Amino acid sequence: MKAVLTPIMMIGTLVFSQAALAKTYNGGADMSKITPISTLLSNAQRYTTESATIKGTVTRVCQKRGCWMQLASDKKFQTLRVKVRDGDMVFPMTAQGKTAFATGTLKVHPLTLEQTNQRRKAQNLDPVDTPQVLHLFTPVAVTIED
Amino acid sequence: MSWFKLNRSLHRDIGYFCIGMTLVFAISGIALNHIHQFNSNYQVTRTSHVIPLSGVDIETDDFETTLLTTLQVSDKIKARFWQDQATYKLFLEKDTTLYLYPQKNEVLVEQVKPRFLLRQLNFLHLNEARAAWMWFSDFYAVLLIYLAVSALFMVKGKRGVFGPRGFLVLAGFAAPAIFIFIYSS
Repeated sequence: MKAVLTPIMMIGTLVFSQAALAKTYNGGADMSKITPISTLLSNAQRYTTESATIKGTVTRVCQKRGCWMQLASDKKFQTLRVKVRDGDMVFPMTAQGKTAFATGTLKVHPLTLEQTNQRRKAQNLDPVDTPQVLHLFTPVAVTIED
Repeated sequence: MSWFKLNRSLHRDIGYFCIGMTLVFAISGIALNHIHQFNSNYQVTRTSHVIPLSGVDIETDDFETTLLTTLQVSDKIKARFWQDQATYKLFLEKDTTLYLYPQKNEVLVEQVKPRFLLRQLNFLHLNEARAAWMWFSDFYAVLLIYLAVSALFMVKGKRGVFGPRGFLVLAGFAAPAIFIFIYSS
């Protein structure tokens, strides 16, 4: 009987521990630094060195490794991707539609014209003649609220 | 008790203790190795519905109520978002997202469910539990080192590693060495 109960208890503990999954990463975001995503993107260079907390609805999450999530901006059609190194934080797919706060800095990656238009095509947007820059937010702490 | 018997006893008991951890890492290791072919974390189901959307104001409470009734969904909407100019998303409770494509008169219902057990095993393997699990994993790794080394002294004489079976040990070292030689240069 013990031989049967032990593995059942181990599996049960493991499954129910899922309910206790932390929704904060590295102690949670610093709520005193909240800055609108649109402000951050319009002053991108400033926020590459100055830490800020962004807030937004989680609109997409990396399906396989949970290594990025996309937050909706306060401005229509604008989003910002929160990207971590694989394993640093794992964002659950079930975070979609929830509100996330992330404290960190911005990284600015200039794209080629080809890369720009490839991204715009994927977003159902018209092609452009000038290359754009890709903004990624690198968090040090995150909070995901229901 | 002689050191030989003590070694065998320890190898047996530590081996029993390591069964659970070994299964956690082995199963999730296979699952994570092949995550690009099979999403072992989540089961994602998508169903498409043709619903007239063009010319309809989809950003109203009335439309949302009608849509949920049509789709026979009882969940509440918790967030709304224009992904791009052609895609409007409605996020429902219970991990469901509705993708509305007004130009195509299409609604895609996407449901995300964490996979039973595999999600939890991957959670442990990727050290999402952080510090405490990391220390426990280190302890497990030390036990594995002991199991590997003590295995060399399980059988005495030529029936052990000093006989033909020693080649199995060499093969175990040779396999990773070959991969390093071929792929790391």
